[in-house]
Amino acid sequence: MKKKTLAIRPYVWLLPSVILMVSMILIPIISVFKISFSEVGRSGHIRGLNGIENYLDIFKDRVFWHTLQNTFVWTIVVVGVSTVIGFILAMVLNQRFHGRKFVRAVVIFPWATALVIQSVIWKYIINADYGSLNVFLRKIGLIDGFINWTKTAGSMFGWECWIGIFVTFPFVTFCVLSGLQSIDTALYESSAIDGASFWQRLFKITLPLVSPSLTVSTVLNIIYVFNSFPIVWTISKGAPADQTHTLVTYLYQLSFTDGKGGHAAAVSVIGFVILALCASIYMIISLRREES
Amino acid sequence: MILKRKPWQTILLYVFVVILCIVVLYPYFVMCITALKDNKEMYAIDHIMPNTWRLSNFADIWSAAPIFKYLLNSIIIAGGATLLAILCGIPAAYALARMKFKGKGIFMGAVIVSQMFSPVVLLVGIYRMMVSINLNNTILGLILLNAAFNQAFAIWLLRGTFMGISPEMEQAARIDGCGTVKALVKILLPMAAPGIITTLIFVFINAWNEYTIALTLISTDAFKPITVGINVFYGFNFIQWQYLFATSLFAIIPVVILFLMIEKHLVAGLTSGGVKG
Repeated sequence: MKKKTLAIRPYVWLLPSVILMVSMILIPIISVFKISFSEVGRSGHIRGLNGIENYLDIFKDRVFWHTLQNTFVWTIVVVGVSTVIGFILAMVLNQRFHGRKFVRAVVIFPWATALVIQSVIWKYIINADYGSLNVFLRKIGLIDGFINWTKTAGSMFGWECWIGIFVTFPFVTFCVLSGLQSIDTALYESSAIDGASFWQRLFKITLPLVSPSLTVSTVLNIIYVFNSFPIVWTISKGAPADQTHTLVTYLYQLSFTDGKGGHAAAVSVIGFVILALCASIYMIISLRREES
Repeated sequence: MILKRKPWQTILLYVFVVILCIVVLYPYFVMCITALKDNKEMYAIDHIMPNTWRLSNFADIWSAAPIFKYLLNSIIIAGGATLLAILCGIPAAYALARMKFKGKGIFMGAVIVSQMFSPVVLLVGIYRMMVSINLNNTILGLILLNAAFNQAFAIWLLRGTFMGISPEMEQAARIDGCGTVKALVKILLPMAAPGIITTLIFVFINAWNEYTIALTLISTDAFKPITVGINVFYGFNFIQWQYLFATSLFAIIPVVILFLMIEKHLVAGLTSGGVKG
């Protein structure tokens, strides 16, 4: 008897956590899958299964393909540029200079601010009629008249990417910084004696040693940025003409504005499959690394 | 780094750092000065600084909208979610760090996979579920959801903290007749305090900054957290920028201070968890 209670004990410890996650995450996942194969009325009630009809409707929709393309551009550009900027900044912050503590504190700001507040500030800054960027640039004499910063869908989306980068790079910086600080400085000293150049040191010492931190920050950022909702929703809500949506704002609009719950669920499942593919690639890479 | 810099490198470094600070602080500068402007000046396009400094904006917001209520809701939601996430997370992290059992790998995998879902992707399902159990449009619903979606991070950070502490002290305590629970509470938790506080603050910040679930689930004004509540100054035709930004400052400042307190521990926890996990 004693043995048996011992064997189930670890599961008892896991129980609260499991209940919380199953009820609040797993059940909605199952629900989303089910809804995606169902016919949903405008008021939200399920009329019954309708096979893959929702998916077929979505695939026929031109907006969906454009949104999918946007989502990839958005994720790759934001994560890519943030990683480069964040990495360079981490290298700089790893140097000794006056005001380093101040700069570290400054970099915290975009990371700590709620995305929706961050987006609202930028919306005000780039406003065409009275935005402070126009006022500022005119004051220092760079422009004469006011510029409409978000005239085209492309420029709107560009600004959204910029805000995305602005809020994402600090995380990379701090992850890389923690990796850099664990590198033994003796490695650099001996390489300096051997006459290694800056680039040799970067590629032979720094990059390999911070690559675990860099991997963590990149994987987590891909997930965050792919799923990021407030920036696009605050700045453009997909406008003009549904050209600036990403998958999450598109599915939000389908579900809560257009009353197409079934289509929204299908888009959710597609987003979920894409993320699952990314995650499995990550798992394969990390497993391989462990083997070698 | 010990390596000596050449003078031009030092200059380049400072130029880079100064430009970076200007760019990063610019939106916050705009927010502060706009929060101090008079509404009439908002659309005046020829000066950057306010003509009349309206410090009273910071006093006016409390009567212009139920800001106090929104902030209080945010505190209840974030505080409740943090407490729940930590109470569920500590035993799970303890089991993962100290016990051997079947299915441990699968559970770890499930924890990592659950990080992949933002609530947004599941919003259609979440909304339906919350309606069916009558928790839509309630603060309790937001507490449960925020706790659940932060569970993975909490377990991740706590497990890393526990694994960094040698189990010998607990074993000694158990030999002295302490039960597992007592050994955990009396020995391990005090030693893990820095990691636990980091986790607490991190979950609190995440829940405080959450926007999308609250936007979807809450329709009653009295239940809105501050991130959704500030929308009152952001009407379709008429935007009260000065109030919007004054309120935003109240929503940002506590979080930035908390973040500054944990930044060092947090990053170490995240990356070490990733390497070990």
